[in-house]
Amino acid sequence: MAGWDTGGPLKVGSWVKVRGTHLDKCRIVEYRGPLGPGGAHIYRVRYRGKPYPAYAEFREDQLEVVSAEQ
Amino acid sequence: MPSASFLRWQNDRRSRLAEVDAHCAASAVLAPPNPLLAEESLSGYVMLVSGHFQGFCRDLYTECSQAFVARVPGGLQSAVQMQFTAALKLDVGNPNADTIRKDFERFGFSLHFGADPANGPRLTHLDQLNRWRNAVAHQTAAAPAAAPPLTIAAVRAWWASCDGLAVWLDGTMYNELRGLLGAAPW
Repeated sequence: MAGWDTGGPLKVGSWVKVRGTHLDKCRIVEYRGPLGPGGAHIYRVRYRGKPYPAYAEFREDQLEVVSAEQ
Repeated sequence: MPSASFLRWQNDRRSRLAEVDAHCAASAVLAPPNPLLAEESLSGYVMLVSGHFQGFCRDLYTECSQAFVARVPGGLQSAVQMQFTAALKLDVGNPNADTIRKDFERFGFSLHFGADPANGPRLTHLDQLNRWRNAVAHQTAAAPAAAPPLTIAAVRAWWASCDGLAVWLDGTMYNELRGLLGAAPW
């Protein structure tokens, strides 16, 4: 797969909370690149959906890294 | 003004495909000939052209949706982002006229490929490219119907058509979003 030059400041596999949502802990599954306004880093996260997991893309500033235990 | 997605297509994806093209051209003229290597290389090439074009379309869709979200009040942004990402066709399907139209028309306008007369032949090429992509990916026994034989000239023509569609889609989305948002999206 072709990647961007940088993987972005957050690591794929990290657990995060999405600010301003009631989503449970989510996992970063893909760095999408500097595709946000002004080159903001965008991440694809997987969250718990019913009946299957679902995905959404957020800017770095919307994500807060949390520990796996939280 | 080109999007970051288009610049990546132009500066990174095309360079990668050029390397594969050179490899395929060299594989075709080996002495002694190695037809298996030439055939498998060409199969990889067709997968990569389709894959990189799909990657460009996904990148551009993301860039457009994030530009749209930036104009939405902060408290609603994450909900809109989740809606933009839900059940995208380009996440699971080939980048064809149908999947591109269904995803990009979420912005509330009709994507008229016919606005550019050159898009007709380009979409025919895109269809042939995806038929071969699927035949290679699924290792079907027969060549796909309604597609020419898999040759390096054919793959180059398909790539050129993807190039034309990328330019057109990038410009179309820029203009549509500028009208919708009242400002340049990027």
